[in-house]
Amino acid sequence: MKFADFISPEAIRAELAADDKEGVIREMVQALLDAGRIEASETESIVKAILNREELGSTGIGRGVAVPHTKHGSVDQLVGTVGVSRAGVDFDSLDGEKVFVLFLLVSPLDRPGDHLRALENISRQLRDDRFCRFLKQSKTAEDIRQLLDEADNNQFGS
Amino acid sequence: MDQPKVTRTVTVANRSGIHLRAALTVFNLMRAFPAKVEIVMDRQRAMADDILQMTTLGAMPGQELILEATGPDAEAALDALALLFAAGFHEEDA
Repeated sequence: MKFADFISPEAIRAELAADDKEGVIREMVQALLDAGRIEASETESIVKAILNREELGSTGIGRGVAVPHTKHGSVDQLVGTVGVSRAGVDFDSLDGEKVFVLFLLVSPLDRPGDHLRALENISRQLRDDRFCRFLKQSKTAEDIRQLLDEADNNQFGS
Repeated sequence: MDQPKVTRTVTVANRSGIHLRAALTVFNLMRAFPAKVEIVMDRQRAMADDILQMTTLGAMPGQELILEATGPDAEAALDALALLFAAGFHEEDA
């Protein structure tokens, strides 16, 4: 599953303003709403579900990256976005370090395969140091969109 | 000198496959064991102590995998990991 299949370009945020975990999650879910990918009436429910998932275990998997996500009945296909925090956010990460890059995913209830494929792609790209570095150095949403496009064309990852 | 390798075949038994939570559960379990453990899916290999490597597999429910371990207590490490797989990573919605 390529980034273009589930990341909404209009929802990409190159300069997250919030400086805490809940704040950046809210900001990215708001971005999905602004991009028309989720319903306004479901926003709070989605934020709560993502925060609940974080309680089970932080999605800050180290290397400055986090993958907050949830299943939710209000979406009929996987939707996602990318956010970059310049200053970094404390995310209770596995390595104790701050998080600078976040991939947020909201998947339908009954399609674990889609979520897994998206996570597979995200993971593969994040293992490439250049991809991570370029993401963190991105200045605009368009920079990030182009980077994801290059990743989809196999410029990164193994 | 090569260390003896122990192997085990397992199946992904939970509903969500080796997603992030499952990879983290494996990671946490493997911290207790000194052995070097790898998960092999066809031609892809993932270290069982590396979350991103595991999630890169994209292993779906029903996928058969081979566990390989070398080093101290390799058998014990695979016993524990095989049990974890059989238990669907202890996920309630397995």
